[in-house]
Amino acid sequence: MDVLQVVEILVFPGLTFFVWLAFVFDWLDRKTAARMQGRVGPLVAGPHGILQPVADFFKLTTKEEIVPEYSDKLVFEWGPPLFFAAPAVGTIFIPVISLSAIISNPYDLLFILFVLAFSTLMAAMLGYASAGRYSTIAIGRLVVQYTGFEVPLIISIVTPAILAKSLSIEGIVGAQSGYWFVFIAPISFGVFIIAALAELEKAPFDIPSAKTEIVAGWMTEFSGEALAYIKLTKNLSYVFLSALGASLFLGGSNGPILTHIPILQDLLFSSYFLVKLFAVGFLIFAIRTALARIRIEQATRVFWTILTPLSLLQLSIVIALR
Amino acid sequence: MSDKEDPQPEGRKEASAGLIQYSPENLVPFGPVHPALKEPEYFKLILEGEKIIEVIPRIGYVHRGIERAAQERTWIKNIYLFERICGICSFAHSLAYVQAVEGILQFEVPRRARYIRVLVAELERIHSHMLWLGLVGYWTGFDTLFMWIWKDREHVLDLVEAITGNRIHKSYSTISGVRRDLPENIADPVKKEMAYIQQRAKYYKDLVSSEETLISRTKGVGRIDADLAKKLCPVGPLLRCTGIARDVRIEDPYAAYDELIPEIKTSTEGDIASLLALRIDEVNESCRLVLEAIEKIPSGPVKLTAPRSVPKGESMFHVEAPRGELFYYVRSPGGIAPERVKIRTPTMANILTATAMLKGHTLADVPVVLTGMDPCFGCMDRVSVFEVDKQKEWSVLGEELRQYGIKYYKERRAG
Repeated sequence: MDVLQVVEILVFPGLTFFVWLAFVFDWLDRKTAARMQGRVGPLVAGPHGILQPVADFFKLTTKEEIVPEYSDKLVFEWGPPLFFAAPAVGTIFIPVISLSAIISNPYDLLFILFVLAFSTLMAAMLGYASAGRYSTIAIGRLVVQYTGFEVPLIISIVTPAILAKSLSIEGIVGAQSGYWFVFIAPISFGVFIIAALAELEKAPFDIPSAKTEIVAGWMTEFSGEALAYIKLTKNLSYVFLSALGASLFLGGSNGPILTHIPILQDLLFSSYFLVKLFAVGFLIFAIRTALARIRIEQATRVFWTILTPLSLLQLSIVIALR
Repeated sequence: MSDKEDPQPEGRKEASAGLIQYSPENLVPFGPVHPALKEPEYFKLILEGEKIIEVIPRIGYVHRGIERAAQERTWIKNIYLFERICGICSFAHSLAYVQAVEGILQFEVPRRARYIRVLVAELERIHSHMLWLGLVGYWTGFDTLFMWIWKDREHVLDLVEAITGNRIHKSYSTISGVRRDLPENIADPVKKEMAYIQQRAKYYKDLVSSEETLISRTKGVGRIDADLAKKLCPVGPLLRCTGIARDVRIEDPYAAYDELIPEIKTSTEGDIASLLALRIDEVNESCRLVLEAIEKIPSGPVKLTAPRSVPKGESMFHVEAPRGELFYYVRSPGGIAPERVKIRTPTMANILTATAMLKGHTLADVPVVLTGMDPCFGCMDRVSVFEVDKQKEWSVLGEELRQYGIKYYKERRAG
């Protein structure tokens, strides 16, 4: 591993870049929701309030951190960094400035599935470790919801892999030079977006963090720095899943090659990627603003009786077409 | 969150323990401070998984001693005190009080003033119902509905401000009439805004009957039937949604409701979805009444000169507040201040029904069902202290309560 690769992982297009995107996504999410609801949204910090998520983050880090008496201290204190690690590691496998990712191997899609599962597992562990009553209920809901959305999510992720005959994201992005997979597998894309809403705990699947029912869900007992990192992680997951959707179905950084000058080419690829990323992001912002929260048993019914058959149908169509 | 009990007299704890067995494992506290509740109130939810098997309300967190305070104030000062009972239906409170006092004084209120009272009371009903409709959006995680309805509600509040001078605490009614005449040229803005509200109400009616996620959260949730409603005696929309058409405005017309006759809206479903539709219908009906009032309003004085002291006597009055029947009893010793004022607010009548509606539902339904009655806990809170074994009730002085609190927390810290 040379110095350049370390810089790529830590700065651009790796961790720092994606953390920056996480703040931007938070701001865009709040601003889009506000506009749709007839409000103005964040306004004060920075131009049009763009620095508000950053200000919120640093304000939270300065707050007192309260560790509940009955909590599992080890998990409670060391869980948030591990929780942060999941999407942070995942983003390394997504091609941004060229058709190849920073790190790539032929099976990295499987690792991505592990990252998604690990993220939910860490949330469950954090919730149980905090030993709050609202947290316990929230984790019950989270796990039930996870058993619902994971199967359609995996099937919808596998569909583009079958189309591209590759299990690496790099390969899938490279295979979309002619057309995007969203045109062949639109149902899979839809299922992916809905499952992503569930993974991100956004309406209508914000059941494990339903504010008016169980306060802040599994995050209720967290405060101060830990809460700041948990919130940042959730925004990073937001970016990560949008980037995954953009890469798997919209071609990611792939697009017409207009120039061969190295720097300009990098800029071109990253602008393709960013446009698609924000397109997927806006889709999620709009859906989550326009819908009410449903109940857990209704969510499970949606996943098992509608989304799983639909994604299986799409999978069989794709296999038949090959 | 603590597993330890909240401060209560020992006998009371035993009484509630006999009601239902629960342990810290299956007790989920809902309140006193909770994002779904805008005012502090504590509900012990006994759960089985996510299913609710028992709800134990504990009221009294925002008891303000207003009935007692009223005895220290003059008749006129009390109007403004009673407005502070509720931040939403403040006009209904002052209206019930002044009409009770007018009953003792045997005043005939000028006809124009009675029309203006109907006008403001109906505007208040519109804004109160819209507030609740928006909050249903908030409770079901549908923030967009919340923001939209509250934005439209501002139109009504601006109108109220133009008429009375204030948005919420209107300080508008007075004994023998209303304090100010309507501003000039108010008819046109009223007509314009009412047309706008009616158009929005139609849109929201379509929305609540077509938006799938909202229907799935409200349809069949918190259902009560007419038989249960007759047993538990709810008032207002909560009663009307079970199909029982009762409304003080029709049964015992006050102000100008004998001339401006509202149509009672009912529904037979008795669930939250029907409450949504019912309240939107009532908003529409109130818009119609406001328009009718502004058309037919007679000219003349808006108040008489009220005396400072009220002769000996007693009077009762009830009005249809946005949440249901609001009841005032006033007794005068013959002087400048009342001897006793007793208030029964709609939330006090509805709270048992709301807890009965919750049983058998899941935790996810708690915010929307519990608040389906449009609670106003600040209006409702009462304090009474009694010893169960001695069957004895007594008053507690503030200092005694303070000492009790100090003792309780000392013991808690030690043990």
